Amino acid sequence: MSTPAIPTHADVIVVGGGSAGSTAAIFAAQGLAAAGGGRVLLLEKANIKRSGAIAIGMDGLNNAVIPGHATPEQYVREITMANDGIVDQRAVLAYAERSWPMIQQLDAWGVRFQKTPGGDYDVRQVHHNGRYVLPMPEGYDLKKILCRQIRRAGVQTVNRVMATRLLVEDSSGRRRIAGVIGLDVRSGAVSVIRARAVILACGASGRLGLPASGYLFGTYENPANAGDGYALAYHAGAELTGIECFQINPLIKDYNGPACAYVTGPLGGHTVNALGHRFIRSDYWSGQMMLEFYKELHSERGPVYLKLDHLAPETLTEIERVLHRTERPSRGRFHRGRGQSYATDQVEMHVSEIGLCSGHSASGVWVDEHARTTVDGLYAAGDMASVPHNYLLGALTYGRIAAEDAVARLTAEGPSGATPMSEAPPLSEASETAIAAERERVLAPLARSDGLPAHQLEYKIRRLVNDYLQPPKTANRYHAFLGHAERFRSELAEAGAADPHELMRVVEVGFILDCAEMAARASLHRTESRWGLYHYRLDYPERDDARWFVHVNVHLGTDGAMAISERPVAPYVVPVSDAELHSYSKIRLPAKVETAAPVPAESRSIAAATVAHP
Amino acid sequence: MPDLPDREPVKAAQALVVGNAQTRRRLDVPVVVDDSKCVTGCRICVESCPVDCLAIDAAAGKARMAHDDCWYCLACELDCPNDAITVKIPLLVR
Ligand SMILES: Cc1cc2nc3c(=O)[nH]c(=O)nc-3n(C[C@H](O)[C@H](O)[C@H](O)COP(=O)(O)OP(=O)(O)OC[C@H]3O[C@@H](n4cnc5c(N)ncnc54)[C@H](O)[C@@H]3O)c2cc1C
Ligand code: SF4
Ligand code: SF4
Repeated sequence: MSTPAIPTHADVIVVGGGSAGSTAAIFAAQGLAAAGGGRVLLLEKANIKRSGAIAIGMDGLNNAVIPGHATPEQYVREITMANDGIVDQRAVLAYAERSWPMIQQLDAWGVRFQKTPGGDYDVRQVHHNGRYVLPMPEGYDLKKILCRQIRRAGVQTVNRVMATRLLVEDSSGRRRIAGVIGLDVRSGAVSVIRARAVILACGASGRLGLPASGYLFGTYENPANAGDGYALAYHAGAELTGIECFQINPLIKDYNGPACAYVTGPLGGHTVNALGHRFIRSDYWSGQMMLEFYKELHSERGPVYLKLDHLAPETLTEIERVLHRTERPSRGRFHRGRGQSYATDQVEMHVSEIGLCSGHSASGVWVDEHARTTVDGLYAAGDMASVPHNYLLGALTYGRIAAEDAVARLTAEGPSGATPMSEAPPLSEASETAIAAERERVLAPLARSDGLPAHQLEYKIRRLVNDYLQPPKTANRYHAFLGHAERFRSELAEAGAADPHELMRVVEVGFILDCAEMAARASLHRTESRWGLYHYRLDYPERDDARWFVHVNVHLGTDGAMAISERPVAPYVVPVSDAELHSYSKIRLPAKVETAAPVPAESRSIAAATVAHP
Repeated sequence: MPDLPDREPVKAAQALVVGNAQTRRRLDVPVVVDDSKCVTGCRICVESCPVDCLAIDAAAGKARMAHDDCWYCLACELDCPNDAITVKIPLLVR
């Protein structure tokens, strides 16, 4: 097997070629080309043709802010409410203002959105207040379209190399990004690539909890995303925020993929309990929604189902056409294997394992409205960056924001402007030491023929995460977890790997452990309950705005231990009233209307008018 | 086992330092390759897999699941030019 030559340096390195990484690479390459040239390197652990959350496409944009349907201010207000007020509105607003040009760009690249017969975008309401869901019934081609643009822009792509640590150097008293250390997961080679700017786009921490099925890779998230980005940023000294605001999603039980309420909801599908009664007003995924879902699941009225069997046959055909061809296309095979169909059976639902993901929730590397982290020259975008509920379009938009800021910065820097780095600059002594230590850390398991196997180590730490960290949370259980984690760290030091693939898994277990520890410490620090199930503490069941209207941040302390700090919530740029700030907590339907709700007349039959691409 | 209580302190101390032993086990894996169709061993599926769990078996020259790490995403099945792959939902999930 030939190993692609890995360059020694690049002006901008993008780590992770999923949604955010694709646009980051495209716009960085275009920007540098316009500013006089420069090399953009896209480092991908898998292969960009099929990597990330959109490996098999996506069936819709969950948060499109389209003129005539929604305004950026409306969107910012909605996301502020959905996050119980703890948001940096400037970062959400930057997304909201830039999302429309991104949609137009995608349209120009050939992404087909659902449109009305009049040619307008066919935006649907799923959120509590505004309309932001734009279907892409033919979204299975999305990754192919992005890859074509990556090639056209002249990005240099290196597949099957995973970043294991970032290189950071002291430059005039500030920590400045200097490069990336990567492991070739096929050959086992470790290389160092120097860079002037690094954009992290490694997706969610998707292998934190263990799915109820017990299958390590049966996760909601693409399991290539093991929390690498969170751990990379943490070890580089960056601040992370909202880690205690977990991701927990309502999913098809055992299959562990979305049902998907955003596709079926606008067509008349909804969540019901075992009595067939609706119990929540809105299927938009929020912590409050998940808490009601969780309570219903664990009550005498559980389990919970997605109800579609009341829909017209042509509606069901349309739902299957979308759900069984894109995003998670093996859904149909799963139902068929159990002899079930949407026409005759309700779909049993469950809650997912816990994860960290700003795309759906709010945990991430702290970034501002330019996608800058707290480390100079280091950017983060997508599911691993802190802009909440950012979803697919947020990843694509913030990839671009990061690229544009990085290019502007390199262009403005010094007399050489954006002049490409001609060779890898000499390494400082500290960097030489750091690189040698990293090489030793990463490769050590290859030398331990009787070392502990990665998959057992992974099972163990994720089982401990389930036992101790899954909400509802208590300080006692969380402290107990930290004790187990400490012991586990010494077991991980005994890991063995038979080949580079297993080596990758060992490194990932380290990332998982780092994420679990961050999740534990951030959750312990916030002694209140907030965000519904995401941070539901049995020992502090009430929300306490007087004390806890702050961001809780995690970073690597100077003593090498994990440190916690707080940041005030920046003054709102879009005013939100106190009443609005509590509006998402009113999601449960009052008992008296807890009857099978009639299907809206317009959803009984799905007319050609609502579907542009039959 | 009359002498177990006597040996226990020694064994418990030894268990901390004794090293590790290994065994192998069979696994049912989700990816099934039809060897009669995987004539070329072209590696397209191997390159498609987001978790790198496929490989070309050196002896057979055919694609195989090398690691039981599947997301049942269907990328390999969709991309195989010869329709040689059928992905089953993993046993623990189906
Ligand atoms: C099943 C599912 C359904 C969804 N449905 C919708 C929907 O309908 N609408 C919507 O708007 N959003 C949806 N989302 C969310 C949306 O897809 C994500 O928010 C978005 O794609 C995240 O993009 P990203 O670039 O952050 O991560 P990803 O696209 O996942 O990319 C991360 C990339 O980083 C790579 N990587 C990871 N670690 C390393 C490393 N150490 N070194 C190098 N590379 C690395 C991975 O291989 C991957 O390619 C869904 C997500 C999932 C999982
Ligand atoms: S279904 Fe997806 S994860 Fe499983 S082997 Fe095929 S490509 Fe890999
Ligand atoms: S893509 Fe198909 S033909 Fe090519 S190696 Fe894989 S199974 Fe064989």
